[in-house]
Amino acid sequence: MPARFRPTFRSIEFGLLIFPALIAIIGLAIIVLVPRAQLDWSWSEIWVGLAFAGAVLVMSLSLGIRGFRGDQTILPITAMISILGLLMIQRLHPDLAAISDAYSALAQRHLMYLAAGLVIMWLIVMLLGPIGLIRWLQRYRYLIILSAIALQISTFFIGTEVYGAKLWIEIGPVQIQPSEIVKLALVAFLASYLDENRDLLASGWKVGPITLPPIPYLIPMGAMWAACLLTLIILNDLGSALLFFGIFLTMLYIATGGLIYVAVGLGSFVAAAYGAWLTLDRIGIRVQNWLNPWKDPLDAGFQPVHSDYALASGGVFGVGLGYGSPTYIPEVQTDYIFSAIGEELGLLGTLAVICLYLFFVVRGFTIALRARDGYVQLFAAGLSSIIAVQTIIIVGGVTRIIPLTGITLPLISYGGSALLTNFALSGMLLYVSGLPRRV
Amino acid sequence: MPVPIRVLAGLASLGLLAWGLYAIDDVSDARWLSILGVAWLLLLVAAYVRLPNMPQFSRSLIRVALVFATVLAIVSVQLIRIQVIKQDDIVYRTAQSADGTDAIANPRVVLTPLETKRGEIFDRDGEVIAGTVQEGDHYYRTWPDPATAYIAGYFSPFLIASSGLEAEYADVLSGQTGNNPISRLFNNLLHKPQTGSNLRLTIDADLQRSAHALLDGQNGAVVVIDVETGDVVVMASNPTYDPNQLFTTSPAGNPEAQAYWESIINDPDRPLVTRASLGLYTPGSTFKTVTAAIAIERGYAEPDSVYEDDGDIEIDGRVLVENNRPDETRSEWTLREGLMWSLNVVLAQVGLQIGGDEFWEAAEDFGFGQEIPFDLPVSTSRLASSEDFLDSSNAIADTGFGQGQIQVSPLHMALITAGFVNDGVIMVPRLVDAVVSEDGDVIETKPTEEWLQPISPETAEDVEQMMVDTVTSGSVQGAQAPGYTIGGKTGTAETSTDTPHSWFIGFIGEPGQKPRYAVAVVLEQGTSGLAAPVAIGRDILVQTMQE
Repeated sequence: MPARFRPTFRSIEFGLLIFPALIAIIGLAIIVLVPRAQLDWSWSEIWVGLAFAGAVLVMSLSLGIRGFRGDQTILPITAMISILGLLMIQRLHPDLAAISDAYSALAQRHLMYLAAGLVIMWLIVMLLGPIGLIRWLQRYRYLIILSAIALQISTFFIGTEVYGAKLWIEIGPVQIQPSEIVKLALVAFLASYLDENRDLLASGWKVGPITLPPIPYLIPMGAMWAACLLTLIILNDLGSALLFFGIFLTMLYIATGGLIYVAVGLGSFVAAAYGAWLTLDRIGIRVQNWLNPWKDPLDAGFQPVHSDYALASGGVFGVGLGYGSPTYIPEVQTDYIFSAIGEELGLLGTLAVICLYLFFVVRGFTIALRARDGYVQLFAAGLSSIIAVQTIIIVGGVTRIIPLTGITLPLISYGGSALLTNFALSGMLLYVSGLPRRV
Repeated sequence: MPVPIRVLAGLASLGLLAWGLYAIDDVSDARWLSILGVAWLLLLVAAYVRLPNMPQFSRSLIRVALVFATVLAIVSVQLIRIQVIKQDDIVYRTAQSADGTDAIANPRVVLTPLETKRGEIFDRDGEVIAGTVQEGDHYYRTWPDPATAYIAGYFSPFLIASSGLEAEYADVLSGQTGNNPISRLFNNLLHKPQTGSNLRLTIDADLQRSAHALLDGQNGAVVVIDVETGDVVVMASNPTYDPNQLFTTSPAGNPEAQAYWESIINDPDRPLVTRASLGLYTPGSTFKTVTAAIAIERGYAEPDSVYEDDGDIEIDGRVLVENNRPDETRSEWTLREGLMWSLNVVLAQVGLQIGGDEFWEAAEDFGFGQEIPFDLPVSTSRLASSEDFLDSSNAIADTGFGQGQIQVSPLHMALITAGFVNDGVIMVPRLVDAVVSEDGDVIETKPTEEWLQPISPETAEDVEQMMVDTVTSGSVQGAQAPGYTIGGKTGTAETSTDTPHSWFIGFIGEPGQKPRYAVAVVLEQGTSGLAAPVAIGRDILVQTMQE
């Protein structure tokens, strides 16, 4: 241990962090100044931006002092994406608070969770990682996945229903969204399980000329996954269900290279979706909202219609931070925050956000490629896939390429559990990037 | 996958997307989504790189990364479509609710025009013609007086755009130009709505109301012009419409405004056509003043030149009958008497003296075939549909006494009349007098300019005197008013229907001084003959002098 404890200056990371730090300070200043329409402000009004800038820079320095020599881009990208979320929530807060008292603590809560998220990320790299977090995840994989599923199922009994979906468990003042925790547990479990049985799964059983998938080895994994999925469908949390399904297929393919799994998975998904569309009314509404919300623009289609208005009003350059009216979209702070970015920051803003996520995923995969251990490889690839699949589901839904299923835009949308788990995800990715590499 | 196939697939994907972006309108039209799907599959083919000599894990991971990248590329195409290519379609889209009782529109579009404090339009004494009323954060447009409203035009940003001065001066009224450039820049920087500048017109609202009272609901127009400045003091047109009923505060859910709009565009009387500047009529005998002026100016006649008129004349085998002689025993008449008694046979001969080519050329000097420079849209007057028409002697003769194919607007006729008493100079008609800031400071005054000078001051004086004679002792004695010198000429325009349009042109002044105002009155299918336009013209001229 003392031998590896050699302080360093993470110069690339520190340099890259200048951008989110500056954006934090300037963005906060804009948010303060725009409604005022005159140059009259004080430093104390933009303390949030200053604190964020200070926190991420100090974090980089402390990682260097700790002697951490992992990837130098994950922290800047995480900071860049999350500062966009922080700015959007800070900007939406006064408008939303004017609409309803329920939003009166929106910005403070987001800030609190974001701070907690940074601390968790820091703790994972500085403390939990070095004392063996990754090994625990591997060793106790069944315990982890079973408790996660139990937590998810308990939502059905003690969960709070919001908009026809039971997504949260309230514990005192804190709301927990179990599906956010489950997604990490699922990746940890699948990485471990697939790594152990990789060869069997890839080769299959030869029965005469036909190669069958090794069914007995698929059962435990399939069961875990089906349990998650079923719960979510019963709870009407289709976004998370789609996310888990996507992660499952992606990891299965990465581990085995077997396109057959993907084909069977997608085929069964399409069949199930078609069946649900025929039988369930609420799915029918989702499909109509996807293909033509203008049929019922004041009721079912209200949100997507206003999202279209917001995105189109932004144009190429956007109307400017603070100058738009994104709060015409109900619940803009969660599912539709991407439309708010589109209105105020324009096409340049939305494409930049997409590039940031893509960059995050590519860096995550690079970390996976360089990892020495098969489990770590799959774990890093799975964590990155969460970000990719989640982004595709929500952005695809908001732009109506696919039906909208409520899910957060990672690190940007309002939501405590989502922020904490996504920062934890970044932290774990960052930590494993510092593990010994393949030569 | 071989490189040529990948390149082809990539190009096919791009081509398909480009075609779909322009060919299909709806954001999530099923056809467009299918195109996106096919384009994505083609992109996958294009991105199917060869990955030799690497472990299965690495190869799978790179493939997955490429899948994610292609999906995000498709998402980006959709964003470009929504935010740029179909931007306007979406921003301005409206829709009805499922049960048809309510409607939706982009609230941003709804608010912008209402957030601008639009400039007001005043008459020459500061009476509001088009006003702006503030309610909370929003400004609404009103037109308080139906007698002046249509001069401003309608302003209906959510339903049918705008017309009249509201359209012609949109940039000034909405503050995009015309006000202080520094405050404009400042407002732009701070994203503050602009404050529009006001317009002061030359119109007199009181006289405008009088003109409408005199028209008494008959279709037609009254135009009064200050001969020296070209100021349009009265520009009355019947029928009218009410722009208030076209102003809506949202693009959606305006069945009443929509119904009103339908009713005025389908009205056979065409209330949207402001007769004064857009109406074209055959001038009838009022045009004899122009024929006389051309003949005198070009040396073919003097006011006292004598013409033979014994009740008819034969031109190229057609017999033209004279009904207007005050004394049927006389057969010799001067040009002056021809005008005073509106003798068709005399003016037909004058026209033939001038000849087709020169008639055409001289009429151009009077503004025929030219667009009148004006603040509102105008219809261009013409002597005939083409110069070839004047090849025939009968056509020249008809044109000489104001029939044939002549089409002229009341505004143009008033301007010509004003020219006769302004030393032959026709001024550019002024409607907008000045652009005035919110605080009342004059930002820009529209200049007083000469438009045409078709005749010399001497010729003009001859025509002026002949028109005074027409009123003093000729056929238009009904135009006399005690205490004023009035000149004038009536006209009857044959139409395709049985009832002709009736005209009066004239001018007024203090005795012994230069006349000050000119008028043109036209009544469509005037049922009460020529007495009605004469009375309207006389009364409005007298009231204008008294204002």
